[in-house]
Amino acid sequence: MKFSQKLLLWTTIIIAITLGFSGYYFVNYVFETSLTREVGQALDENSILRFAFETAALNVPVKYDLLQDSSIEQIASNLEVRGQGTGRLIRISDEEKNILYASDGFETDGELLASVGEDKYSYRVIQLGGQYYIQTGSGVNALGRVLYLETLRDVSQVFEERRMGFTVYRRLMMLMLVLGIVIMYFISSRLTKPIRLLMRATKEMAAGDYSYRAKKVSNDELGQLTQDFNHMSEALEKTIGQLEDEVQAREDFVGAFAHELKTPLTSIIGYADMLRSRKLDEEKSLLSANYIYTEGKRLEAMSLRLLDIIVTKKEGAKLQKMPVAPLFEYLRSMFLPNQSMEFAFSYEDAYVLADYSLIQTVLVNLLDNACKASEQGSRIEVAGCLGPEGYRFTVRDYGIGIPEEEVSKITQAFYMVDKSRSRSRNGAGLGLSLCTEILALHGSSLEIDSKTGEGTIVGFFLPEAGKEEQHEEVYS
Amino acid sequence: MIKILIVDDEKPICDLIDMNLSAAGYSCTAVQDGLAAIDAVENNTFDLVLLDIMLPGADGYDVMDYIRPYQVPVIFISAKHEVRDRVKGLKLGADDYLVKPFDVTELLARVEAVLRRYNKAEKKFTVGEIEIDIEARQVTRAGNPVPLTSKEFDLLMLFAENRNVALFRENLYEKVWDDEYYANSRTLDLHVQRLRKKLGWEKNLVAVYKVGYRLEIK
Repeated sequence: MKFSQKLLLWTTIIIAITLGFSGYYFVNYVFETSLTREVGQALDENSILRFAFETAALNVPVKYDLLQDSSIEQIASNLEVRGQGTGRLIRISDEEKNILYASDGFETDGELLASVGEDKYSYRVIQLGGQYYIQTGSGVNALGRVLYLETLRDVSQVFEERRMGFTVYRRLMMLMLVLGIVIMYFISSRLTKPIRLLMRATKEMAAGDYSYRAKKVSNDELGQLTQDFNHMSEALEKTIGQLEDEVQAREDFVGAFAHELKTPLTSIIGYADMLRSRKLDEEKSLLSANYIYTEGKRLEAMSLRLLDIIVTKKEGAKLQKMPVAPLFEYLRSMFLPNQSMEFAFSYEDAYVLADYSLIQTVLVNLLDNACKASEQGSRIEVAGCLGPEGYRFTVRDYGIGIPEEEVSKITQAFYMVDKSRSRSRNGAGLGLSLCTEILALHGSSLEIDSKTGEGTIVGFFLPEAGKEEQHEEVYS
Repeated sequence: MIKILIVDDEKPICDLIDMNLSAAGYSCTAVQDGLAAIDAVENNTFDLVLLDIMLPGADGYDVMDYIRPYQVPVIFISAKHEVRDRVKGLKLGADDYLVKPFDVTELLARVEAVLRRYNKAEKKFTVGEIEIDIEARQVTRAGNPVPLTSKEFDLLMLFAENRNVALFRENLYEKVWDDEYYANSRTLDLHVQRLRKKLGWEKNLVAVYKVGYRLEIK
């Protein structure tokens, strides 16, 4: 059963029981009050009749010491007649509780008289021929006789009112109940709306749509739950996206690696096979041997680079405060002897937080790439400057540039914009991959800005270490 | 002469295929990117295209798509070895798919097979005084039919396709028997002896020390 239905059912049950009890109690209370009033009036009437009877008995001419039965009948008849119109019913019994006089319709048993004594009166409510009566009884002393006077008072009206009360109330209750159910139905479906939305969201997510979010419709605990759920799915979506990207990257890497491995292998195996199975002329033998050599070299370069990447990934970086000057000095000493290019170095002196040898590798790679992309004799600018975001290194060349659609791919392993050009310079397509890996260890990344035919600017930030040192001094 | 177009972005591989196919008597042209391949097919008629997949310019699949109307048989030669790559290549209409690194004898055999399917290969050819009818699988020596078993015929074909090339025992065995070669198996030697005797090639079918056999025919 649905939660909203449960809510509705229980509320309905509670409303019904509450309304039922309170209604019953109320109608009954009114009834009891009326009945008590009626009883009081009946008893009053009884005592009035008793006095009237006693008075009448005194007025009977004294012929006998004792009041005669006929006289009693006479008096009773008079009393009844006098009360005509009020529906008065009386009954007189003697000492032995034998009936001496009874009005028409006074047809109850004498049970009540059992509890009535000379000075005691009593009453009960009885049902007679579909009508309700209050029967009262009391003792009467008249001329030495102890008689019993009983009256009947019609109280059907009170019972009728109670019945009517119940009927009206039942109708009212039904109406209230129906109204209550309708209102509760809306309330409960409104209250459980967040749950339904959440349910849909979980189903969507289970079906693989991690971008689905549940709509928040309330500010209570359920709203909070929806919010938390959405937070959770966001985190989940992110993680899964990362995992998928990782898997994709790994697959791409394996595919590219297999390709890069197989290409030189095909040549090596093919030429070696030719050399061993054919009698080749000298020129062809030399060509074959040369191909085996260069392709072997290519494999070597690739495996060394891969090793670099793996080692870097495994060992991580040992970040320490270091000055940038030695880095630029090293680059200068390494590249300046290369007369075919015009190098320009400019840098601000500063301290950065980095692993010296790794950053050196990155810069050497970037400069190498710049050389590969440039014509002989063109200019390559290497710069370092301090900015608010940290220390920024840039390498700028005026070479062939990178086509826009290729920029995002060039850091992928084995990716080469111009294969034949890169191959001829012994590139394996792993340099920028290694750089990216190293910079990731420094919490940084490569920023590449390039225009085909105009050149490329590659830059990255490193955290500046000078400021941190000052902080340390303050706190230590 | 049968003309073959070789498309591969790696010059060493182009040269390797070129050298081997030329030695087997084909005329070869090599190009190193996809667009050049399309130009070549448009401007010349080729009997077969050997097509790499990872190409600069236009990749092998695109090239295949483009040259299909020319009805040139195509063999893909690629380092992509996964089933889905091979299926994709074959579904595009290629006649065969060869995975790098490949064996030169296998390349030759497949080239031969595809050409045969297109009736472009010679159905009969002669080696010395032996005449081989490939379709009928019949061999005649100076006009007289020579009865050969199926394996003997396959073996003869390998030698005939690779004249003056030393063929390695394991290669021969794997190609003909389609099974792993065991170092001490005498099956191959037995078949070679039978061939020598049936064809009168006692002097032509020479054993190459530590390698295998070579068919020496002028």
